[in-house]
This record gives sequence, structure tokens and C-alpha cells, in this order.
Amino acid sequence: MSGGLPSSETAIRELQRITDAALAALSMEELLRELLERIAAIMGTDTAAFLLLDEVAGDLVAQAAKGIEEEVEQGVRIPIGRGFAGRIAAERAAVAIEDVDHADILNPILRDKGIRSLLGVPLLVEGRVIGVLHVGSLTPRHFSEQERDLLQLAADRAAIAIEHARLHAQRTIVETMQRALLPAALPVIPGLDLTATYRPASVDARVGGDWYDVFELGRGRIALVIGDVVGRGVEAGALMAQVRTALRAYAMEGHPPAVVAERLNRLFATARPVKLTTLAYLVLDPAAASLRMVSAGHLPPIVVDPEGRGRLLDVSGDPPIGATTSASFREHEVPMPPGSRLVLVTDGAAEVRGEPLDAGLERLRVLSEGQPNARKLCEAITAGVVSGGPSEDDVAVLVAHLQPLPDRLVTRWPADPEALGGLRHLMRRWLVGRGAGANELYDITVAVQEAAANAVEHAYAPGPAAFTVEAEDSDGTITVVVTDRGRWRDARGQNRGRGLPLMEALMESVDVRRAGEGTSIVLRRTLEETAS
Amino acid sequence: MTTIIRVDVELHDSTAVARLDGELDTATVGDVAVKLRRLVENDQLRLVVDLVDVTYIDSAGINLLYAVAGELRARQLRLHLVVAPGSPIERMLTIVGATTAFPVHPTLDAALAAR
Repeated sequence: MSGGLPSSETAIRELQRITDAALAALSMEELLRELLERIAAIMGTDTAAFLLLDEVAGDLVAQAAKGIEEEVEQGVRIPIGRGFAGRIAAERAAVAIEDVDHADILNPILRDKGIRSLLGVPLLVEGRVIGVLHVGSLTPRHFSEQERDLLQLAADRAAIAIEHARLHAQRTIVETMQRALLPAALPVIPGLDLTATYRPASVDARVGGDWYDVFELGRGRIALVIGDVVGRGVEAGALMAQVRTALRAYAMEGHPPAVVAERLNRLFATARPVKLTTLAYLVLDPAAASLRMVSAGHLPPIVVDPEGRGRLLDVSGDPPIGATTSASFREHEVPMPPGSRLVLVTDGAAEVRGEPLDAGLERLRVLSEGQPNARKLCEAITAGVVSGGPSEDDVAVLVAHLQPLPDRLVTRWPADPEALGGLRHLMRRWLVGRGAGANELYDITVAVQEAAANAVEHAYAPGPAAFTVEAEDSDGTITVVVTDRGRWRDARGQNRGRGLPLMEALMESVDVRRAGEGTSIVLRRTLEETAS
Repeated sequence: MTTIIRVDVELHDSTAVARLDGELDTATVGDVAVKLRRLVENDQLRLVVDLVDVTYIDSAGINLLYAVAGELRARQLRLHLVVAPGSPIERMLTIVGATTAFPVHPTLDAALAAR
């Protein structure tokens, strides 16, 4: 053992401290600085520096330095293969320079600081170069074989710590992104139960890219999306954000599912590097009891019918979004009778390594049949019941249960204009189920909504403002009672007051009654049309 | 947000056309009112409101049409409507007398041709 080097035993002990658990809690910057302190102490050198590989730019960037802090301040970048550090990264081997004055050194700071001798080694993780570690001496020094090995040993441990900190930081970013991008709360849609879960990957490096989304399209239709961006980490999270937003935009423009998929594909197929996304996009029309959908290379959705039989929808065959510029997508129409449950998942829910996907999907189908409670079903799927343990990948699950509507439907609504659309769509669904014809559907819905609008406008009684709607079908006679806690008021103003005449024109009878503290509007109409 | 409506505005010579697509009810009427009033304020123009793609209209929506028509009248202008014949919207407008109060046309072309 030469010069100021510690005994190998001490050195090993010192090295061990490099990977101490304490370091895990540090930020990347603190970690690098701490590592340099310890490495410079072990090696007995005046300077030490980390340059990390910028994978996008393909060069080395000074990230932390001791004794040559200017390197970092000036953001020194060294191309792979050039200069001292670049050679180390290219050759993936240690390089020692005894006399800096007569060597190929790219970075003038090293010379300016009076460094005479340098030793550098690559930072390797699973054989990949992630950067370079070098130490320097202000007095001429010959680095022995043993010292090279010791520095490489320190670099190996540092590389693991750096990679770990990096993944951890990335995981935090991706998880924050993911959380920001998943709906904070699913929309509340009367007559439809929505449940969703997302579980991040159990392995740091695999996090990101799965998502689900639910939004309303107007006219009572609901958009349901589940998707999986191929790739991982921050890039996958960023792509997911783009695909999710683009899909929403195209869907809100009113395009049918196949057109939405085609436009998304056109948008992402020309991206380089290639960006692939599998997704299923479904539009549920509760009144029509049907789903229109498109699947871009995604796992087939499962529909459990009202009798409890589950089936995988036969929708395979179309490529993922971004796979080919010429892709076209087929739109499928699937019946969704009241009482049906729709189960959408991402790969992590059904895939088991070394097993055909069909086997996992079949277990998922059986599980979906057997668990009518949507919350418990979501929990079971994310817990890995199908795959026999939690997936390493992230998992997203979305379950939609279209509730059957009874002959007598009683609902309670907040006194808020925003609630009226939901009421109207629910009434429409209920009336379709009662066999109402097209005009009857429209007339009764308008009349009920007018009565409800009145309740909203007159919600001035103390206490939480709400109104109730009781709809009943008695042998084809529809009676709807809208009750609020306010007192009926004749509308004021020139362009008001069309509500009551409208109701009277649309229904056979309209009665306005005082009901305790509030007002009830009783609407009645006999169904005569034959539903088309 | 359970109700969605889109308002597309086009100019045809001195006529402004507001095409409504969606449901015109208490929840959406405010947004539509803002857009229609902006067109009314420009008194070079006459206004055609195209309701062919409207799937639902309630008394709030009808009230808006009457209010806009009143503001146009103050400028010696008329509100023209485009309504699909036989549609539920036409029935609603008939019930409240709007089909006799305003010139109603079966297509946008017919509305633009009318003087």
C-alpha cells in the first residue's frame, strides 16, 4: 500500500459508508457532494468530480465537483470519446494521466486549477455507462494499479447509489404527474356507478404510463377511457398526458370513437422516437343501453350482463396508437342493458410472465363474474388476484355499473342548475325503459326539467337546498312529482314565466300543490305512442 | 358539467350565423347568451341562429331567443331561426309561439336567401 492510502480494510469500511442507508435520504445534489467528500478522503486527492451522461444530448455533464467547483458552475459538457472524461466513457475503462501538461485535456479548468495528475473511472450500472468519476492531485502523482481498483470499487458503489437516487427522484416525479393526470374524482352520473383504482408499479424503474379517464360528452353520453403508454418513467408519463388530452379534445369535438382513434393515431404516428399507446375508448349511451367503442391494441373489455354472465368483448385486431401511419380502426357496438357491468383494465392486471395472456384474461373474466361489488373487484384486481401477486407494472382498473331503474324512481337533487342535465338524462333513460315514444320522451323530459328548474330557482328555504323527483309508471300512466322546500312564485320579468304554460302544453295535467313547507308540482301523462 | 353546447359563428356577407350544437338549457344558456349578444352588438349584421343540431331546448333557451330578438328589434333587425321541420325543437317553439314570432327557415341556405 503506497503513500497516503488507508489500509485496504479501512478503505473497504470507508467504501461501505458510501452506500450507507443514510445516503438514500439525500437529494441527488447532496448525495453527489457527500460521495465526493468520502471518495477524495479515501483516495487522498485534492480534487474529485462526477460527470453524468446526458442520454438525450449524448455527452457528459459536470454534476458535482470538489476542489474544481467551476466545472459545475460553468456547466461543463464533454462529448463522449473526446478529452480525458470522454475517453473513459467511450472505453469504459480507467484512464490515468500523470502529467496533465502533456495530455489531451478538453476542459481548461483542470489545467487552470493547477492539477498535475488525474485518475478517472467509468460509472457503470449493469454494464451501462452512466457517467465518469475522476480525482486529481495538485502535485505530480503516480496512481498505482491498486489505487485504480480502489477508485473503480468506489465508483461502482457510487453508481448504484446515483442510479437509485435517480430512479427514486423519477418515481416521485412520475407519481406526482400520474396523480395530477388521473381524475381527482369521477363524475357523478345518476344511474351509473363508477369505480376506478390506480396502483403504481412496485418496481421503481417500471412506473408510469397507465391511465383511465371518464368524462361526459353531452346528451347523456359518457366517455370511458383506459390506456397504457408503452415505455416507462417521465417520458411515458409525459406522453400519457399528451394522449389523454388529445383524446379528450377529439372526443369533445363530437367525433365518433373510430374517428377519435384515427386522429390520435395521425397525431402520434409521425412522432420520433416512435411512441406507442394501447387504449380502449368507449362511449356509453345509457338511454340507448349501448356502447360504441374502439380498441387500439388494448386488452378486451369485459361486460358482465344483468344475469351475471361475463364475456370478453371480441374487439382485437387494431394496432396501438402510433404504430403505423396508415392504421384504421373499427368501431364496435355492444349492447349494455341496465344492470350490466363493464370492466376495463391495463396489462398489469392480467399479465403473468411465461403464461399465455388468454389464461390471465379468463381468470379476470371469472373474477369479474364472481364479484358484483365494484370497489372490491377493483381492489382484488390491483392486489394481483388474477396474476397471483402484485404486478411489477402499474395497474389501472375502471368499472362502470349501469344501474337498472325501477318502475318507481325516487331521486334527490341539489338545487343547482348544473344538476338539471343529469336529471334530464336519467328521466330519459327511465322513460325509454317504460316504452315511451319519441315525442313523449321529449315532452315529459322537458316538463320535468321545467318543474325542476322552478325548484332550483325557488330554493331559498333554510337548510341544504335540494329537491326530489318521484317518477312512477302505473299501467302506462306516468306521474312525476317534483317537490322542493320553497314556495311557488310567479316568474317576473318579460322573458320569464314560460315554464308553467310549457308544462301545461306538454302534459295532460299539471298541479301545483303546497306540500308542507314547500311546493309540489304533479305532472301526469298517459303513454300512447308505440316506442320505435 | 352534464350539459355541453357548442356555438360556431360564421359570417356570410352581412349576416352572422350562430350554429348551436348540443343542449340549450338553464345550465348552458349563459354561455350562449354571451356569444349571441356579442353578435347583436355589431349592428351591421343580421343574425341567424341555426338550431338544427340542437337536441334539447327548454324555457330558459326559449327565453334567451326572445330576449335576443328584443335587442335586435331595437336596432330594426330581426332574428332568423333555422329549425329542422318535424323536430322536437320545432314542436317546442310552436308551443310557445316562437314559430310565429320569428321568421323560421328549414335550412341555413333558405335563411340566407331570405331577406
